Amino acid sequence: MSATKTFLLELHCEEIPARFLEPLAKDFSDLFKAMIEKEGSFSLRWDWLAGGKNSFSSLFASGKLLGAGEIREIRTPSSKTEEVKLFGAWAFSPRKLAWAISGLPDQQPDQTETQVGPPQRMCVDEAGKPTIQGLKFAEKWGVDVSAVRFEQPAGKKEPCAVVTITRKGRPTIELLAEALPGLIAGLHVPKAMRWGKSDFEFVRPIRNILCLFGEQVVPITVDGVTATNTTWGHRLFHRQNPEPIKIATPEAYEETLKTAGVVVSVDKRRDLLKQQLDDLAGKVGGRVVTDAELLDTLAEIVEFPKIVRGDFPATFLELPKEVLVTSLREHQKSFCIEDAGGALMPCFLTAANRMDDPAGFVKAGNEWVLKARLYDARFFYAEDRKLALSTRLEKLKALTFQRELGSYFDKTERVEALAERLAGTLKVDVNQAREAAKRAKCDLRTLMVGEFPELQGIMGGEYLKHEGADEEVWMAVKEHYRPVGAEDAIPSTPLGCLLSLCDKLDTVAGCFAVGLIPTGSKDPLALRRAGQGIVRILWERGWATTPRDLIALALGAVGARATKPGPETTEALLTFFKDRVAYQLEQVGYAGSVRRSALATGWEDLTDLKARCEALSAFAEDARFASLAQSAKRIGNILKDEAPAEAFAAAVLQDVTEKDLAERLKTLEATTEQTVLLAALADLAQPLEAFFNAVMVKCEDPALRAARLSLLHRLRQAFLRVADFSLWQ
Amino acid sequence: MHIQELILRLQRFWADRGCLIGQPYDLEKGAGTMNPLTFFGALGSKPWNVAYVEPSRRPADGRYGENPFRVYKHLQFQVILKPSPAKVQDLYIESLEALGIDLSKHDLRFEEDNWESPTLGAWGVGWQVVLDGMEISQFTYFQQVGGLDCRPVSAELTYGIERICMFLGGYDNIFDLVHGEVKTDDGVFPVTYGQMRQREEFELSAYSFEHADIDLHRTLFDAFEKEGWRLLKDHGHFLSAYEQALKMSHTFNVLDARGAVSTTERPGIIKRVRDLACGCAKAFLEHEEGSSTDSPDGTDSKSKMQGGAK
Repeated sequence: MSATKTFLLELHCEEIPARFLEPLAKDFSDLFKAMIEKEGSFSLRWDWLAGGKNSFSSLFASGKLLGAGEIREIRTPSSKTEEVKLFGAWAFSPRKLAWAISGLPDQQPDQTETQVGPPQRMCVDEAGKPTIQGLKFAEKWGVDVSAVRFEQPAGKKEPCAVVTITRKGRPTIELLAEALPGLIAGLHVPKAMRWGKSDFEFVRPIRNILCLFGEQVVPITVDGVTATNTTWGHRLFHRQNPEPIKIATPEAYEETLKTAGVVVSVDKRRDLLKQQLDDLAGKVGGRVVTDAELLDTLAEIVEFPKIVRGDFPATFLELPKEVLVTSLREHQKSFCIEDAGGALMPCFLTAANRMDDPAGFVKAGNEWVLKARLYDARFFYAEDRKLALSTRLEKLKALTFQRELGSYFDKTERVEALAERLAGTLKVDVNQAREAAKRAKCDLRTLMVGEFPELQGIMGGEYLKHEGADEEVWMAVKEHYRPVGAEDAIPSTPLGCLLSLCDKLDTVAGCFAVGLIPTGSKDPLALRRAGQGIVRILWERGWATTPRDLIALALGAVGARATKPGPETTEALLTFFKDRVAYQLEQVGYAGSVRRSALATGWEDLTDLKARCEALSAFAEDARFASLAQSAKRIGNILKDEAPAEAFAAAVLQDVTEKDLAERLKTLEATTEQTVLLAALADLAQPLEAFFNAVMVKCEDPALRAARLSLLHRLRQAFLRVADFSLWQ
Repeated sequence: MHIQELILRLQRFWADRGCLIGQPYDLEKGAGTMNPLTFFGALGSKPWNVAYVEPSRRPADGRYGENPFRVYKHLQFQVILKPSPAKVQDLYIESLEALGIDLSKHDLRFEEDNWESPTLGAWGVGWQVVLDGMEISQFTYFQQVGGLDCRPVSAELTYGIERICMFLGGYDNIFDLVHGEVKTDDGVFPVTYGQMRQREEFELSAYSFEHADIDLHRTLFDAFEKEGWRLLKDHGHFLSAYEQALKMSHTFNVLDARGAVSTTERPGIIKRVRDLACGCAKAFLEHEEGSSTDSPDGTDSKSKMQGGAK
């Protein structure tokens, strides 16, 4: 096997938007892999350290791989003799996208191919001389006619002309040089741009290309930029060093860049930021208000991570906590610090793209901007409170919720009607329910929510609290968008849950009624998330109402605005909710066997479903269930084409095992509590096995056979009250 | 730094780097992009570097001269470089240094911010340039203007003059900025931004939010539109027609600040401005392409254009 080398490519660009970095890194990796598989003619093993912790450096860590990447084995169809093991990793910073792949052979292996031609009798004349056809065959494959031999290949009836061709393997660097420009141009860029005079499109202008195979530069040119073994470090570094930096080998890449002020691994930058955040918050006796998304963003927008602490005037602490946290996050990409009691402190933490803050300009600048922002927020807060929140109700008429479904005022009326109808069933004060529903959307017309849409609900709650509304009401309004995601909790009060449920129900049912149904990966209105919220509320509250009843109520409220026929919409909604319920079971963490067998016997009554899943999970480890599942399958097969009567004469039964089963059936049928029922079912495993060992169900005696079939049928009915055990495992 | 000093330095800097120094266009507009030096300059294939100050009006941002950060009218310093140079980011950074910003002590970031002007049928990709957490410039590679592809692509740099001055001087109130100094026989008198502009802010805010005659503005909007299309269609005059589009745009902004535009009405109104602006862009390009043909006296292209306009 030939020697192997490491390949390195770095595209150095003007600042690439953070959200594109990782998708581009992945996309190129896939394209590269496909290219190597096609061109390499190697038999490949790939370890792609996809985004693994510090994967870039682990790639070079003395051959020992620390990353937790997916390992896949791919053998190309043309695989011959050599097996090559490749390791790949990527890294990125705002101005860099980089990939390294180690273990590439420096030479494509030679390949021999056997080509079969016409039969021998057509290639050679009687005198043993080659015919025209024989000569043409040799010519076609570029060999002298003397190299043609005659053999009888498998599947042929007679000897044929055969040649063996050797294709010389090419240097890998040549293959790379040929393929790379196409790969780079073929990267999927969601928002591509042009620059200068060229028609070339990419995410941002490419200003330098570093491309090495071992120590050699891979000679490629992309949009006029020719690859070299040099690149650029941090902008500040090059203020003193006007020349680009040389990267001697792929292995030296990460360390060399670090000396030039760039930490190229996003994971390392995130770790460094996290550590500084905690240190600096600790220094003022507080802790960081965590925000994983913000931390990711900061790690993606700096090349060298430095956290700076700033302060703001304590008077701004009169603003609601959510307003401060949101304003700091959205406007200044800053973290808040809270004290041990959870109250905010008058300081913040943000990231700078440099190593230090020698003159304090970074701190002072951020403080100055933040003050301007908080001044605005305080202005909105004061202005908004000059009028009662309820005065915005009328203004909701001019705010479209959805074209066919009308304005937010129309939506408010529907939600109010739903809340009124459901309050009684769900034991919530009906007046409070109506009051909360009326106020829920009013904050959409406030200045603060205009500035920070993500504060919807929260501001409504804050303003109602300020006006002296009932705590139940303002809490309900404040929390009615919850749960906003799988991680978020449902509203903390029954009234909040009712309001959230009615709001989401109206959105989901309304959209379905006008044909806005999520398909595949397309769910622009986030209806699945809303549906999940509804299911979670019912599930966690244990509310005794079913999706079917809710759908009927909601479609009633939508009324004539619907553009699709009611029964069709109801069916679509039931399917939608069934999927949401199945997902809920998964989220709760029930095992696959529990979910499948429990769902199969009914999903609409969530309290019942929950009880069955709980009971099943408690017994899931019980070995007897495997046996029970076997028996259930067997019963299913036996009864497949039968229509047994409900009643049977127990006296007809002969064997001791079936008499035992009949006795047990009585107990089972009398049991209502799921756990007791399951215990009884588990106890049934062994007797069922004994029964099947002892008797043949479909015996000659018609009376006995009928009784046995009925017995099994009734046993199955008892099983199905809990779950369809035939789907267990 | 005084406002006028900042402007002078930016003009000197960009003039030294091969830009024409243009002048503000004498019509109300929301941004320097709307100046014909940019709108038409960014179209077509000819090289074009220009820099100028543009007073920009945003009626909805008016705060009666009471808010220390937000104003009805602010100053933009606009630079267009066509085609965008390979070292355009470095050039921009040098311009900051020319303002006395020592970047070895500051944090400079280019954060994604894609620009779009629905009224001009224009969009581009680029960044907001953030200095120590403060947005000081917009940086855009124009992809389309007036609904037409930009080939070559221009880089547009827009500096927020007041912001940069406030930031550099640590001012907490825009009206405390010093525009410059008046020197007389009696001495030196600094003149503040507030002295020059605060009353104007008050009156123009009051006009935008309270006094503007809604019916009149609706009538004006329709009239400007009609006039614009007449100029464009009957005479093939894209410059005078474009002025009408600018007037429509400002009239719309006043109506909007006055709360007279509903959300449903809005896209339709914007489209009417855009349609006229796009019409002007198209006519300009036809004229440009015509005039750059090989015909020695240009008569061919002109007659073609006029013929097409009839």
